[in-house]
Amino acid sequence: MRSTTREGVTGLALVLPPFFLLIFFILVPAAEAVLGTLRVERSGHIVYSLARYVEMFHTISLRRSVGFTIMVTLASVGVTFVLAYALALYLRFSRGWVSTLLGALFIIPLFIPTVIASFAMVTFLEHHGYIATLLHYVGVEDTPSLVFNATGIVLTEVWASIPFATLVLLAGLQGIDDALIDSARDVGAGALRTFLAVVLPLNAVATIITMSLLFIGILGSFTIPYLVGGNAPQMMSVVMTNYFTNYLRPDISVALAALSFVIAALAGATYVAGVSRRERGAV
Amino acid sequence: MRKRLRIVHWTTVLIAVVFVFTLGLYGIPARGQMAGVTLYISGDTNIQEMFDKDLLPLFERETSVKTKMVFLEHGQGGEAIVAKIIAAKRTGQKTDVDLYETQPTYIAAGASEGIWTKITKDNVANAAKVDYNRPEVLVSNGFGIPYRGSSVVLAYNSKYVKTPPRTYDDILAWIKQNPGKFTYCDPQTCGSGSAFVYVALYKFSKAEDFSGVSYDAAKVTAWEPAFQLLRSLKPYIYNNGFYPNGNVAVLQLLGRENIYMAPVWSDQGVSYLDQGLLPKDIKLAQVSPPFTGGDSAIAIPVHAEHQASGLMFLNWLLTSKAQTIVVNKLAGYPGIDWKYMPKDVRDKFAGIAQNFSPLPNGQYQADAKRLWQEKVAGSGQ
Repeated sequence: MRSTTREGVTGLALVLPPFFLLIFFILVPAAEAVLGTLRVERSGHIVYSLARYVEMFHTISLRRSVGFTIMVTLASVGVTFVLAYALALYLRFSRGWVSTLLGALFIIPLFIPTVIASFAMVTFLEHHGYIATLLHYVGVEDTPSLVFNATGIVLTEVWASIPFATLVLLAGLQGIDDALIDSARDVGAGALRTFLAVVLPLNAVATIITMSLLFIGILGSFTIPYLVGGNAPQMMSVVMTNYFTNYLRPDISVALAALSFVIAALAGATYVAGVSRRERGAV
Repeated sequence: MRKRLRIVHWTTVLIAVVFVFTLGLYGIPARGQMAGVTLYISGDTNIQEMFDKDLLPLFERETSVKTKMVFLEHGQGGEAIVAKIIAAKRTGQKTDVDLYETQPTYIAAGASEGIWTKITKDNVANAAKVDYNRPEVLVSNGFGIPYRGSSVVLAYNSKYVKTPPRTYDDILAWIKQNPGKFTYCDPQTCGSGSAFVYVALYKFSKAEDFSGVSYDAAKVTAWEPAFQLLRSLKPYIYNNGFYPNGNVAVLQLLGRENIYMAPVWSDQGVSYLDQGLLPKDIKLAQVSPPFTGGDSAIAIPVHAEHQASGLMFLNWLLTSKAQTIVVNKLAGYPGIDWKYMPKDVRDKFAGIAQNFSPLPNGQYQADAKRLWQEKVAGSGQ
């Protein structure tokens, strides 16, 4: 009895520091900031109102930026997901030196700082860059704009996210028993059928985790949209920074942050649902 | 054994050398403080180099007054120096800042505390050559004296632009006649793009209303037609409304002949031409009303330890000899009127040797950049 009490106290003591850290350095400031966006001064009195959010949605550039951010994020997540899934399947089911080599190569972007990757992409994609030169030799003169717009952001985000997505998906795929796939083959299922009926459902949790984490990561990314994006529309992270430091309107900046928190929370909810499903032993 | 002894011997020598050098390093500033004048200078590394290599040695040779420079790179800590001068004044002490070169707005911030010496031709003879209507003087509440300046000017490719615009309205007309051959950088990222925007604002409002220290958010509504004008230009801007990031990106577009006309900083334009980074066909010219410029001024604390030496240095800096060094090194404007400059210098800078419009104050600048993003770049076509 005594020893369980002591254990309980020790456990609590271990949990308290991170708990307080969470409360005082994350939750309280966040709540204070959100409340602050609702506080408006009207003829000397502080009242609570949605005026800032109304102003935000009446500003065309901000409205477009919110839509743009969601579209770019979804597109990046989609493309990354398709490419990373294909890569993970290949690494899981193929043996040989090509597969081993690829397994080592795909991880490289993980070790390259985003600033450097972004600048590399700019030189690679820009008007007189590498791609344009290559296309010029093939005879294509009219290169589409690949950088300082949504295309540039998506390409760079995809490049930077593939290693992480592949790692998580691969870990999920490796958890699938070979025997299950073999038995599907035995009863006559083709490659596509096996993938759709066996691999995809069994890897659902890894899929949900990958997609939601990718979504939150790309939604909040700053370096890539700042360096590779155009003047307008801009991703929300860049807009927030501009309103905070350049336009001296921190209130709008915090209101935007609150909005992006809501969007990220939706993705977070699917993540939590996915993880708890795994913990309940559904998979 | 002998070998080890030798190692010990050399180590001793090395330690002795390091010791002597350390002493020397600490000794030198101590000597500098004893005599002469302490200058607080801010700016980029080119300013530091100009003072270190050209101005200070020459001044010391000519006057045998020792100088000590405290350099604030990119103006970092600029406000803290003002606070330090104010603190010394309030506690009745002398300050070691004999001369302070900084942004005119910082000088204005200390003006109400009475920390600055009023500079007139009585205490600085060469101040008579300075135009007291310059933005630097006005913005600093009359206490800042300009000694260098640069402004934004129009760069155009004379191979394609046969009759260069003389006025801002001419530029607007040219842009519409030559779609895709003009751009200015995103005002967030550079001063040359902001200048193009500010002059558009001044077209519909008075520059003096926005360049002072006071701020009134309601005044900003006067800018609305200016932003409509800038938005109407968007389809005619290079690459369907592409505003590059930074001054250098615009210079590169000019250099590759992707565009034929753009606003650029006078000093950057001249130095790019000198280095051959821009084709010789690129010409620089000021238009009317002029683009904005001006970012530095000198003030001298009333309670400076060596105030007389500070005034003497300022007077020397405003001689046409020192000003010629400044203009050539920085490819910028002199602090004194162009008419006091040697003829060969005037000829070299003929296109830009005019005055410039004052910058709006910091708060109005922030508003202008925000509204440009909201109403011009971010508004859709």
